[in-house]
Amino acid sequence: MNNQRQGVTEIDLPVVCVGGVTFKYEGSREPALSDINLRVDKGEFISITGGSGCGKSTLALCLAGFIPHHVGGEMSGSVIVNGMDSRQCPPQKLAGAIGLVQQDPEAQLCTLKVVDEVAFGPENLCLSREEIKDRVEWALGAVGSLHLRDREVYSLSGGEKQRIAIASVLAMKPALIILDEPTANLDPCGTTEVLQVIKKMEADTAVIIIEHRLRQLIPISNRLLVMDKGRIICDGEPGHVYKNYCSRQKYYFDFGYKTGEEESSNQSTTEERHSQANPVLSVRDLTVSCGGKRILEDINFDIHPGQITAVMGCNGSGKTTLLLSLLGINKLERGRIVYRSRDITAEKVSRRARHMGMVFQNPNHQIFENTVYREAALPSIMLFGGESAMNAGINSLLLEFDLLQYKEGIPFSLSLGEKKRLTLVSVLGYNPEMLLLDEPLIGQDYRRADIFWQAVLKHRSAGGMAVIVCHEPDFVRDFCNRILFLENGKLLLDSPVEEGFKLLEELGFKDYLPGSNVIGDLCYGQGS
Amino acid sequence: MARGLKNLFPGLAYMPGDTAVHRLHPLPKLLLLIIYSTSVIVFSHVVTALALFFVLLVFYGISGLGPGFFLRKLRVILLFGLLIMLIQVISVRQGYLLLEYAVFSSITLRIWSAGAVAGLVMMLRFINIIASSYLFVSTTDPNKLVYALMQAGLPYRYGFALITSLRFIPVFTRELTIIRNAQMAKGIDLEGMSPGKILRAVKYLLTPLVICALNKVDYLAVSMESRAFGLYSGRSYLFKQSVDKKEWLILATGTILLLAGGIFLTHCF
Repeated sequence: MNNQRQGVTEIDLPVVCVGGVTFKYEGSREPALSDINLRVDKGEFISITGGSGCGKSTLALCLAGFIPHHVGGEMSGSVIVNGMDSRQCPPQKLAGAIGLVQQDPEAQLCTLKVVDEVAFGPENLCLSREEIKDRVEWALGAVGSLHLRDREVYSLSGGEKQRIAIASVLAMKPALIILDEPTANLDPCGTTEVLQVIKKMEADTAVIIIEHRLRQLIPISNRLLVMDKGRIICDGEPGHVYKNYCSRQKYYFDFGYKTGEEESSNQSTTEERHSQANPVLSVRDLTVSCGGKRILEDINFDIHPGQITAVMGCNGSGKTTLLLSLLGINKLERGRIVYRSRDITAEKVSRRARHMGMVFQNPNHQIFENTVYREAALPSIMLFGGESAMNAGINSLLLEFDLLQYKEGIPFSLSLGEKKRLTLVSVLGYNPEMLLLDEPLIGQDYRRADIFWQAVLKHRSAGGMAVIVCHEPDFVRDFCNRILFLENGKLLLDSPVEEGFKLLEELGFKDYLPGSNVIGDLCYGQGS
Repeated sequence: MARGLKNLFPGLAYMPGDTAVHRLHPLPKLLLLIIYSTSVIVFSHVVTALALFFVLLVFYGISGLGPGFFLRKLRVILLFGLLIMLIQVISVRQGYLLLEYAVFSSITLRIWSAGAVAGLVMMLRFINIIASSYLFVSTTDPNKLVYALMQAGLPYRYGFALITSLRFIPVFTRELTIIRNAQMAKGIDLEGMSPGKILRAVKYLLTPLVICALNKVDYLAVSMESRAFGLYSGRSYLFKQSVDKKEWLILATGTILLLAGGIFLTHCF
């Protein structure tokens, strides 16, 4: 496929030609894009990566015509799409040439049925009924989802929704399809589903994919672009770019690098084994149902001092429900939770939360107050009362997490990464013994993920524990002591990390194993 | 308490089925509903109101929903209807005296013929209008209805405003649950349903919900416009929602029967 795509590029006119584009958001001092020059040819497969906030998504909006038409700000330079100047054409007019698939599979589907969703674009183009029908069948076939044709959108899994989002864009037959972190919200199974679809796309459709996780993309890309502070700082053959640039910059966390501190994480397994006799938290026969449906069934495990436990499993396997049940938000149908020899099964959430601090996946669900400081202090005040005592502690945490400059600012104006840090600060502010983190790495680049890692390690070194729902096997290998793997609400395994991965391999869960270094194969094997 | 409230006000939703009422095209069905509701208002005789109620029960039967559904889903409507009747019975004092009953030594309940009839009519009219709307909603796929309305001339922007609203009801319900959980994890006590807790819940849940909704709206707008939504003043449709001759005939027959029956019964009694 790689060769097919490379063969096409040299003989056709560019699909997109970006000339010296600079864009500054309204009210912003720094430009989000600076002097971007980019040519995309028919059939090219380009991966774009870079730190969060480097301008990748802004570039996607610019290519699709939403900048300058719908996003406020100043733009200079030109974007020519299939011969049309984006400044003269609204996004709707560029729609037949460029398709955009976004990160959140839930928010980008606008109809009630799969077939209506895929037909939506061609219908807007006023195509004939026969043409629409052909396109719907073709697009659903291209993403391997013909069997979903008559399903209700709400009943689809995350991976299925993202496949339908791709099909709905493919049905427009665009010359270029842009995928902005299409796998960010998906579990490893869903990610594999979507990447398989992307790999099989027709060779004459150009593809731009924006991703942090490059492992499976490098071998199928023609070019890898790295962005930083609104500029394209590197553009070339993927293996070469990675070898000479990315690996040094440590943008990605899926290549398994380890710091000295992280090494000590695994060493602590021995230490942990010594303390097996005295678990801090014991869960016995935990069973939870919701709306008549069994979500978790007969879950048994212990958490020991200093333990970082990863909870893995497919979307819908009950991982988040498990955290919510530990905290008492989800009531148990049966079973028992014992914390420090005390049965807390019937205890109220507000009492349990003193010992267990939970950080949710989407910080927008947690943030409420009108200043960053008040938001950071809110759980401490709610759980323990008295603001003055923790004043110094909150301030030092805000400083540590690089948020002190926004202390009096509105939390909702922070970037997603900053909001995630703020929710962690608000929990660390009252120093609960156990951290419950629900997919803290979603949409985070290496640098931001690192902040979470360091916070968890520091918490452990101070005697704390953590239970982390995580889809990143490399992270689990490097930082966790134990794996709990859930499947359809049942605990499939509860093992030390290395043993756990071996068992997962034997059980056929290959998507959940730490990856081999694909880049290494590419650079030093076939690629070089 | 929350569960109690939910049972008292059951959800109004489409219930898929394959009966003649379900299969009828949404547009004639909507027109029949309008004509039926107009008949309920225009023909005020008690016999007509009873006849229209009987017609409604027949259609509930045909649609496979049955009296169980009627009593379960419309319990609160029936109770409200009885309350309306009671007020009429007590307040209207015309005609001849039907019943006289001493409730206490100082209070005597008198039921007059005009009051009883007026109460019955008011109750039946109220039930007929609400229950017929329930029947329509329960047997009509909202997706088909909106696509039919758009193909009949409703501007598609309004049509898709309705479709996206329906699409996001389960999404926002789920979001609200997550937000509630997230606020509880911060130590905010939202369990139970005391007035204070309800006020607190509104305060702590509404802001994050609005922020999440705005985020989703941004995504949705980009998703729709990047698929050419709004490019032309019209659009084509994959599925043609045309009304066939048989369905026009059903509409015409229904209209004639309702109007003729109403006039006949009003004049006879």
